[in-house]
Amino acid sequence: MVQSAKPAQPIWCPGCGDFGVLATIKRAAAGLSIPTHDFVLVGGIGCSGSIHNFMDVNGIHAVHGRLLAQAVGVKLANPSLTVVAAGGDGDGYAIGMGHFIHAFKKNVSILYIVMNNETYGLTKGQASPTSEIGFEGNVEPPFMSILTALSIPAPNFIARTFSGDPKGMLAVLTEALKFNREGRGFAFVEDLSPCVTYNDTYKLWREKVLDVSTLAGYDPTDRKAMFRLCLETTESGRIPVGVMHRPKVAGRDGLEVKLVGDGPGPVRTDIGLETNLPAYHKLLAGLS
Amino acid sequence: MSPAAAQIAPLPDQSGPGSPRPPLELNDVSVMIGGQGGDGTLTVSDLLGRYFRKKGLYVYTSRNVLSRIRGGHADASVRASQDPIAAVKSQVDVLVAFDNEAVEMGKAELAPHGFIIYDSTTFHIAEPHSAGFPFATMVGGSLGQPIFKNTAAYGALSVLFGLDPAQTRGVIEERFKRRGGEALDKNLKALEIGRKAALAMPGVENRFSIASGDAHNMILTTGNQAVALGFVVGGGRFFAGYPITPATEILEYLQRYLPPLGGVVRQAEDELASINMVIGASYAGARVMTSTSGPGLALMSEGISHAGIAEIPVVIADCQRVGPSTGQPTRHEQSDLSHLANLGHGEYPRFILAPADPVDCFDLTVDALNLAERWRLPVILLLDQALSQNTATSPRFDLSKVRIDRGKRLTPEAVAKLAHYKVYEFASDGVSAYAPPGTPGIWAEVTGNEHDEWGHVSVNSTNRYRMMKKRMEKMVHARAELPPCRFYGPPTAKVGLIGFGSTSGPILEAQRLLEHRGTPTRYLQARTVFPVPVHEIDPFLKEVEVAYIIEHNYTGQFARLLREAMPWHHAKLRSILKYDGLTFRAPQIVAEVKGVS
Repeated sequence: MVQSAKPAQPIWCPGCGDFGVLATIKRAAAGLSIPTHDFVLVGGIGCSGSIHNFMDVNGIHAVHGRLLAQAVGVKLANPSLTVVAAGGDGDGYAIGMGHFIHAFKKNVSILYIVMNNETYGLTKGQASPTSEIGFEGNVEPPFMSILTALSIPAPNFIARTFSGDPKGMLAVLTEALKFNREGRGFAFVEDLSPCVTYNDTYKLWREKVLDVSTLAGYDPTDRKAMFRLCLETTESGRIPVGVMHRPKVAGRDGLEVKLVGDGPGPVRTDIGLETNLPAYHKLLAGLS
Repeated sequence: MSPAAAQIAPLPDQSGPGSPRPPLELNDVSVMIGGQGGDGTLTVSDLLGRYFRKKGLYVYTSRNVLSRIRGGHADASVRASQDPIAAVKSQVDVLVAFDNEAVEMGKAELAPHGFIIYDSTTFHIAEPHSAGFPFATMVGGSLGQPIFKNTAAYGALSVLFGLDPAQTRGVIEERFKRRGGEALDKNLKALEIGRKAALAMPGVENRFSIASGDAHNMILTTGNQAVALGFVVGGGRFFAGYPITPATEILEYLQRYLPPLGGVVRQAEDELASINMVIGASYAGARVMTSTSGPGLALMSEGISHAGIAEIPVVIADCQRVGPSTGQPTRHEQSDLSHLANLGHGEYPRFILAPADPVDCFDLTVDALNLAERWRLPVILLLDQALSQNTATSPRFDLSKVRIDRGKRLTPEAVAKLAHYKVYEFASDGVSAYAPPGTPGIWAEVTGNEHDEWGHVSVNSTNRYRMMKKRMEKMVHARAELPPCRFYGPPTAKVGLIGFGSTSGPILEAQRLLEHRGTPTRYLQARTVFPVPVHEIDPFLKEVEVAYIIEHNYTGQFARLLREAMPWHHAKLRSILKYDGLTFRAPQIVAEVKGVS
């Protein structure tokens, strides 16, 4: 056995919600028997983004806000890899917002986990895009990621979990990874992951979370119904959790399927000159 | 007599009345076609270019367009010469004007023997040596659509140049055969209308004659197309880009070329995404490239810096235009060099390669891919608007020279034999072996944080010092492997010329003119512009008494790099600069070069 990078010790504060995500990703991956060398974890910048250091998988620590672009690049280059991007709410919804919206449109079969703690923890507690009005002087209404996700008409998997409910999270992450590995497209999971130091919301969120699947009219294949359900739940002061969107048809829908089909993808395509010489000669013969 | 015909004046110092005037033979001809966007100026340039190429001439075409889809003044130039050329001619021999603005803008560049053919449908001019034809009315009346006026103008030009009627038609057939049917038929009719009118106009027929050349079995291409093809044959299989003038064609060509070869091309949401997508794909093990221009490059500097510390190979083609900000998006400049040499936050190694012509673009793109993987760092291909978009007669690209060097890339078999795998292992040349994700038994742990050999985040100062040296010294270790300079002119010449990129075209032409003037020069074309190839430029500068660094920017960016690298040559260096958005014309360089006694 070759000795390779060993997982480092997490840098998180004791009790941080991110521990729940780390443990659950590991369990979900193990449950699906994903070989660790085929698993790539792309980390953002912030406390949560260091998660790739703590797992015995391939890891790439991206630039702040750009983890989705890098993760999409990894997956399109080698569709046989299982690719998870994981970062915080500042990383994804502030500096990375452009890539966030486009990830739904691109519909590449990667899983994006946003560990939302409604604050910038690593820089010591500033307001984030999801902070409530009044938090650290915040005067802007909080960003609603699930509603935004539901507003983009693409066949994505969309869900929200809570670090206080590891069992629920395991079911969602397992389904999301399966969704990806079947090449069906982009999976987005927002995890409510409290920052015990700057915004300890365990107790509050435990009281407020509401499993949408228990509500009348719950149908995750019906985007319109789910938008209404999530909006009404939020407006009533509760936080909707669970699977918010699950595309109707279980076909292969991911962008990488459309781009490379059953081909091996750019990384595993033979780029040798001799193999490709007839094609190159033909290409160059077209010049006049 | 039509008012237009009355404006034709006989050429001075030509044969007197009664005897036929012999045509003026041109072995280097320049035709400028100007009008409103949508007038079809590019078509006229294309048709003439095709004809000239059939005569074995070297052709160089350029466009002057506005950053808008239709309308506004636009012009196209075609130059054809018996000698290899890669520059706009200083004087226009024939100006074709579809509007008055074209005359106003073009007549300053008109040669003393120059001639103007214009569409007199909407305006008249009082220039000597001009002929007005109501092209739009003529073709509008008989073909029902004035849009064929450009082909009628081509017909008139064919008479002016005494072109072979059958070959003139042949060019139209070749150009429009794919559209066939009505389009071909109407263009052929428009050609005849233009020819007939010109033959009837005194002083037009055979006014000029065009020499033949020996440039056969060549191609007409652009730097952007050459970069796209070089990327394909160099094994590039992943490309992400965002549309930006004058780089967009690279994205467009690759959208055609790559998918059939198993490659992936994505148009990203912005340049932040395109650079990070290629970083992800390169980490995964693909050969990658993105292309952009100044404003996009500014956005990419964050990601390129990341690739620098994370040691991820990426190739970035920067097609420079007039900046800063939106500047003049369709105009020419070489003003990103300083930015690129210092690009990003913090310090990391990078190579900047500057091709001069399409063949160079093709070859250096392959080199860039090899160097990026061999040294695991960002490599920038530095183009400029003229190189990216002007078409030039070029030798065919040579596949026999292409080789793929993946550096210290580890196969799964090689990895299986290792005792350990450190993604950032120290090595004498600074390059660690790399195995991408998916390799059984190991994990690729890559980060933009400072890291130890395993890829773990590290704040250890000893490690930081060693890692910085490991990365930065790649620029020293790689020196002998970087594309070498090219030298032109006698080694004994005491006047040196230095340039890079498409400026080579006008410089080489200026060199010939200077030779005629009695000033022999030696020209150094830098193909690696950063790190400065001191080992090549220092000996060159020692041999000359003075060296002119010729570039398209205000501050002398390459000259500054040379002064910084070789302060001992400071007194010998002079700058010849142009920053009006247009490319050098050879005489402009000649005028600035002083001889030495």
